[in-house]
Amino acid sequence: MWSFAVKRTGTTAVTLLAASVIIFAFIHVVPGDPIYVLLGDTATSDQIDALRHQLGLDQPIIVQYLHWAGQALAGNLGRSIFFQAPVLSVIADGAETSTLLALITIVWVALIGVPIGMVAAVRHGTWLDQGLSGAAMLMASVPTFWVGLYLILIFAATLGWLPSSGYPSIFDGGLGNLRYLLLPSLTLAAPNAALILRLTRASMLDVSREDYVRTARAKGIRPWQVVRRHILRNALLTVVSAFGFTFAALLSEAVVTETVFALPGIGRLVVQSILRRDYPVIQGVILVIVVIYLVTNLIVDLSYRFLDPRVELQ
Amino acid sequence: MSRANIATWLAPFFARPIALAGLCVLVAMVVAAIFAPSLAPYDPYAIHPMIRLMPPDAAHWFGTDQYGRDTLSRAIYSARMALLIGSGVVFFALITGIPVGVFSALFPRLGHVLMRMVDVLMAFPSLLLALGLIVILGPSAANSILAIGAGYMTTTTRIIYGLTLRLRAETYVEASRSMGSGTIWLVVKHILPNLISPLLVQASFVFAFAQLGAASLDFLGLGAPPDIPSWGNMLAESRTFITRAPWLLTFPGMMIVLTAFSLNLVGDALRDRLDPRFRQVFGGEG
Amino acid sequence: MKFGLGLLVRGAATIATALILNAQASAAGMLREATIGEPPPLDVMVTTADVASVIGRHIFETLYAWDSTYTPRPMLADSDSVEDGGKTIIIKLRQGVQFHNGKEMTATDVVASMIRWGKFGARGKLLMANATLVEATGTYEVTLKLSAPNGAWKNLIADVNGGLAIYPEEIAAKAGNQPIEQTDYIGTGPYKFKEWRPNRYVELEKFDGYKPRREKSDGFAGARIANFDKIRFIPVPDVGTRVSGVQAGDYDYAEMISGDLYDTLSKDKSVQVHRSNAPIFGLFFMNSKEGILKDNYKLRRAIQTALDKSQALRVAFGPKDLWSAEGSIFPKETFWYSAAGVEGYSPHDAKKAKELAKEAGYTGTPIRLLVSTNYQAHYDEASVFTRQLADAGINVQMIVVDWATLLKMRGQSEQWDIFVTHHTFSPDPILFTFLNATYPGWWNSPEIQALRTELTNSSDQAARKATWDKIQALIYQQVPVMKVGDAYTYDIASPKLKGLNANGPAFWNVSTK
Repeated sequence: MWSFAVKRTGTTAVTLLAASVIIFAFIHVVPGDPIYVLLGDTATSDQIDALRHQLGLDQPIIVQYLHWAGQALAGNLGRSIFFQAPVLSVIADGAETSTLLALITIVWVALIGVPIGMVAAVRHGTWLDQGLSGAAMLMASVPTFWVGLYLILIFAATLGWLPSSGYPSIFDGGLGNLRYLLLPSLTLAAPNAALILRLTRASMLDVSREDYVRTARAKGIRPWQVVRRHILRNALLTVVSAFGFTFAALLSEAVVTETVFALPGIGRLVVQSILRRDYPVIQGVILVIVVIYLVTNLIVDLSYRFLDPRVELQ
Repeated sequence: MSRANIATWLAPFFARPIALAGLCVLVAMVVAAIFAPSLAPYDPYAIHPMIRLMPPDAAHWFGTDQYGRDTLSRAIYSARMALLIGSGVVFFALITGIPVGVFSALFPRLGHVLMRMVDVLMAFPSLLLALGLIVILGPSAANSILAIGAGYMTTTTRIIYGLTLRLRAETYVEASRSMGSGTIWLVVKHILPNLISPLLVQASFVFAFAQLGAASLDFLGLGAPPDIPSWGNMLAESRTFITRAPWLLTFPGMMIVLTAFSLNLVGDALRDRLDPRFRQVFGGEG
Repeated sequence: MKFGLGLLVRGAATIATALILNAQASAAGMLREATIGEPPPLDVMVTTADVASVIGRHIFETLYAWDSTYTPRPMLADSDSVEDGGKTIIIKLRQGVQFHNGKEMTATDVVASMIRWGKFGARGKLLMANATLVEATGTYEVTLKLSAPNGAWKNLIADVNGGLAIYPEEIAAKAGNQPIEQTDYIGTGPYKFKEWRPNRYVELEKFDGYKPRREKSDGFAGARIANFDKIRFIPVPDVGTRVSGVQAGDYDYAEMISGDLYDTLSKDKSVQVHRSNAPIFGLFFMNSKEGILKDNYKLRRAIQTALDKSQALRVAFGPKDLWSAEGSIFPKETFWYSAAGVEGYSPHDAKKAKELAKEAGYTGTPIRLLVSTNYQAHYDEASVFTRQLADAGINVQMIVVDWATLLKMRGQSEQWDIFVTHHTFSPDPILFTFLNATYPGWWNSPEIQALRTELTNSSDQAARKATWDKIQALIYQQVPVMKVGDAYTYDIASPKLKGLNANGPAFWNVSTK
């Protein structure tokens, strides 16, 4: 078990290292002199000299990378051209919104996807199952921003029940402000719930074919108990591992949703930074999200392995 | 293709009528794209400020947008962009995935390194990867293909790798190799033909999700230029008017859903026809 | 498993309760305006961006301010006298005016501000280029000596946009051409700068040491009473979101709403519609410094010949009573209205345009049009014109960025050939950005230089009007800018607000019913 943990962590570290090289190269691959890419075109000669010295741009690229990586580990991701503030603090500003959005979305995904997936699996082969699976596939074919715009049209603009955009912090206005995240989280949840639904259904069906389940049935244990005791627990392991992937992927998918609902999160920050050519922020956000993505996957993998020792590892 | 082959290909569609419907929709889409100039009632670019924001009526079945352009015509022309992006992404995914996947499976040591590199690319969530590439390359329809393609290249490569590994373990392949046949011959005679069916399935799904990806990029303003008809662009422009002109929101969105859903249905039907050992690679549903 | 489910249910119930309770977002005493986007730094002397001056005018004040007829009235100044044929201006300042840091405003602050404005201000050179002397001739008296009289001096220093805002001496003295830091946003206005959270808001708070003028308020002039404790300016680039935000009560005021929504919003009880009292006009600036349009006046005229501006105005502003396809730079009812050169305003002749372009040597090179999405009208105008020019064989490539980026990019002459903006109403032609040689576009042909000097150096209104006629004719001949047309924009606000300012968003004197 521990050797697996060490090996898996090692793999993650190596992957992160390789990814960081790509992210580092980003600034140098974007069209333009890296100095102006980092400082913006209105940089003064003092600023240019200072940065040139700080980054060691006249040194071999390996040294530059090491320098950058060291700074990144220390939390210095550079300075936003637009905000004239450290990239990390700009990102941290958006963290509250994006994290809350992701968490609430996961709740919806779990509440909707898992139970309905279970129902579809239990009623496997019936019209209900076909209908639900079809609906899930339909949901997965819908662009998230379209769902979002429709929700705004119906619930915000026409009915006026919910706000259409923005997010005043709950630290400013109380828990009631969570209602600003209701429509956005439903928007994000739709395709992901569909995916989890299909995954739950599939893994439950897979498990139900396993020998030990057939044995349980043969022994005469009532179907519902079979489901609860054996199928559910084991199938859910697969689903749980999918949640890890989902959470990290949400941080990326939220880009469009945050734009539609004008939420001050990290996703919208990326889009605006692209439109503003604020390259240090783009680079910083990609790095942060990749780190979160890899670490989340690592944790999920390890817990999966920990929870079910019978799982075969490739 | 022989008659028997065509029959086996179409069998899963007749077994499941909804998949057949999906196939018909796709054929209609392709026809619309090819014959757009004849099918579209108006010039999709022509501006007519006097008839802007008109709801659907006899003259304009889908209504008009804020420039007075006919929404139906723009929607039909957008099928071209959809077809272009979809095929481009699939092509890109296959053209990179097949060589890398196949050779990685046949030459384990090389394969190990290459698959690691694919893993590194997979560390980037696909939309972020696309955005990053757009920043480097600049927004345009062609670059959208590369940007979205990069994300699907990784999964496609992995799938081909897995498939080839299984094929490699087949006895006849082993036998062939022991008889001294060259690698290229092996690939062409045994590997590739067996990859066609699963790759068709993968192509359907990639084509489907490429639609959503392209629509997202266009919506964010980072894809095709704004006046080029594409469903994503149409949705982006509809935002200001969702209360005043909801038809601008409805029709382009429906087209995207229709296309992606049909492709998913087709992919599903094709996957059911697959050899069970291949089906697993796609996460079979049993 | 059961425990987890229970937790989930309880969590959901909490959220549901919070939703049902539906807490009000508006804190007592705070006014929230939804703006078109994130502002550039608020150093109003060096930027002409409206988003900066809308916020800036609450923080900083000028010596004079415009009333609702755009006549300059004393604000920080008390009185003035002009001697020596207009070449000496003596301004007496108000006494007891405080800066936000507690210091009293005196002549040395004004002098330092004028010097900095003259060197680096957006409109500074228009007045100060001819300044031979500016000094404090008393604790509350400033003397400005010019080498030639400038008939527009009062208007020049009454405009806060790129104008002579009064900063404390220490800040003005060390400020160069880079915008001042946020810690230096110290002015004399009824509100002081509190906080800037990027992407979220800029927040101002009431300045208790403010002493309003005694005159009745009229436009930007007269008494300014701060009724709200705090004001927040929230960037909301999407106009649909701004509208639904006011309807839902998330914002109290939203600026620059699309003409298309005017009819429905006028009837909507959940908002009040606030029309501007003076029209704005869209402007397409040509690059006179470098690039394909640098001095190719014929090509520029070819471009303008192809355009049907009514189409663009219709798309950008909607109902006919909100816009007018007027070729004269000044609207009809004003003193400066002129018919010179207006045949060239909107010929909408694609064929002729094609010929002219050919004569001008145009071979199809893409012409880069820089436009932003924050101002929907700019984007619509650009889209329509691009299409019309394509029909005339002129290839225009739109470069779409957000407003903040456009403000930066337009300062880099190698990045664009045409950029889109709009101009708010100005009571004096000297204030037009396109007459300012340092403003992006950089129009500075020998002809305009001569006419500009003629315009500034006279105080005789009739003579200046005659000069303006010549300038307008030149504008249609050399086409440094293309005017799109006059448009009345409108903002919307919560029906509970009263005291809204006729000249534009300014939230002193505003209160809830």
